[in-house]
Amino acid sequence: MNGKILEVSKLSKRFGGLQAVKDVNFVLHQGDQTAMIGPNGAGKTTFFNLITGFHRADSGRVLFEGTEITGRPSHEIARLGISRAFQISNIFPKLAVLENVRSAVQAQMGRAFDVMGRADRIGVEEAEQIIRLCGLQGKQGVAAGELSQGDKKKLELALALSGKPKLLLLDEPTAGMSLEETRETMALVDRLNQDLKLTILFTEHDMSVVFNHARKVTLLHRGQIIMEGAPGEVRANETAQRVYLGGHPA
Amino acid sequence: MSSSGATHKSGWFSDLYQKRGLSGPAAVILFLGFLLVPLLPGKFPIIVGTEVLIVGLFALSFNLIYGYMGQISFGHGAFFGLGAYATALLFRYFQMTAGGIGYFGFFLSLILALPLAALGSWVVGFFCVRLTGIYFAMLSLGFGELLFYLVFSWYSFTKGDDGIQGLLPPPFFQDATYYYYFTLAVVVLSTLLLWRITESPFGYTLRMLRDNRNRAAFLGINVRRVMLTNFVIAGTFAGVAGALWGPFQRSVSPHILGWAESGKAVFMTLIGGAYYLAGPMVGSIIYTALNAYVTRFTVFWPLTIGIIILVFVIFIPGGLLSVIDQRIRFRLSAGKVEEIRKGEPVSPPGGGA
Repeated sequence: MNGKILEVSKLSKRFGGLQAVKDVNFVLHQGDQTAMIGPNGAGKTTFFNLITGFHRADSGRVLFEGTEITGRPSHEIARLGISRAFQISNIFPKLAVLENVRSAVQAQMGRAFDVMGRADRIGVEEAEQIIRLCGLQGKQGVAAGELSQGDKKKLELALALSGKPKLLLLDEPTAGMSLEETRETMALVDRLNQDLKLTILFTEHDMSVVFNHARKVTLLHRGQIIMEGAPGEVRANETAQRVYLGGHPA
Repeated sequence: MSSSGATHKSGWFSDLYQKRGLSGPAAVILFLGFLLVPLLPGKFPIIVGTEVLIVGLFALSFNLIYGYMGQISFGHGAFFGLGAYATALLFRYFQMTAGGIGYFGFFLSLILALPLAALGSWVVGFFCVRLTGIYFAMLSLGFGELLFYLVFSWYSFTKGDDGIQGLLPPPFFQDATYYYYFTLAVVVLSTLLLWRITESPFGYTLRMLRDNRNRAAFLGINVRRVMLTNFVIAGTFAGVAGALWGPFQRSVSPHILGWAESGKAVFMTLIGGAYYLAGPMVGSIIYTALNAYVTRFTVFWPLTIGIIILVFVIFIPGGLLSVIDQRIRFRLSAGKVEEIRKGEPVSPPGGGA
């Protein structure tokens, strides 16, 4: 459990007058399950966008498995093994659930440019497996845009898993889910981490989710990391209490 | 494959519908209809039929960009025109060097239109795929007009506004009926290829781009490369349609590269239904046939088509096939309610597109 899978050093990003991420140093080790918390606007999503190549960093470096990925395009970073699931579900609304996942699986297989193959015969088993894993069985034929909010989030996770990632970034994976769905989804996240040895970094506003499912917590505030440690330490920390946890007794 | 008893209504239509969506049975009906066109009295239906097929193929190629990839091009006529001019100029070359065009020269000038249209669309696409939405549309329009003016003003090579005349095909293809069937064969073959492409993993990659481009990138898809590849495929098929145009009209003129020609593909696709493979061909039948017959009675054709477009955009934005599809789905689901009562499992019909 000690190889560094992700190493971020002195990462900064400014949008006009707003310093969204400032000199962030951050390390994830193989097999970590870490939560990134912080108030709205703290820079969590920007941080994810920087790692996955959606935004270009002003300065700093990102290493993934020892390879520098700073400034590389999103699709290359995805192919290296970083998948992400979005806060607001970000799916293919006109395609059926199975088509969503199957197409993502085909992309992972490097078949996105296959012009002559039959789409309905490639990667179907794997897609169905992922759909079952994410609790969407029975909804394969439904157009993704017509799913309930909770199911859209499950599909969101399924798409991220289709990339066969080594590192999974989850941006508020349970937002908009019922209590039951939240429990199921976080159980799945734990399983992915423990059984499949996926390294997971997630953001979350629900502190019970954070303290029950993360082994390490990083607190981001105004684009800077102000505290890192085990859930218990962060919970007990005074600064953490003041900037974020105050209003959320866990 | 049989429909495995998923509905009460069986027979080839609903079987094919369940398996392939509306485009399956629509394609069969269209094909049979096209086969029978020459049985209609007089030469006129054959002439109109040939035009329907050629322009329909052009619209089908356009829809790879619009319905499948989600971008709108107003410069697609340029590749139709490139194909047509490539064939026409090669025709002229064979006619001048050999004194007339033989079957070999005929087929060669048709086939050589493909690499030229592909090359042209690669160059234009290289720039266009850097943008999306209205900017993509405007850039494609700009390139289309650029190519139009190039052909229009390069008199020594293209005969400019005069166009290239006297493109008489070899004897067998001078017969309108035979040329019609030849066109039908080429269009059917092209459509089968287009169908394969749209149902391939690449076809679904296009749909991902249409629905959510950013997400596709996060799943490891090189969005620009996909767009460029598709742009070239679409341009090449437009070139196939263009190649058939000259020998049919016996001439080509620069207007076929212009925005009005590109606009035709947009109209046809909207009338027929962009989310159906067969949609643009259905649109071509309506548009071209109306054009042919309405212009016999009135000079107000542009006004007529304007009103038709208006009606479609306002009342059936999904195109004619979407309306038919809804009706069929409604009828099938009425049957399914009975089945659910009987406790049989029900599978949804295949996706529309």
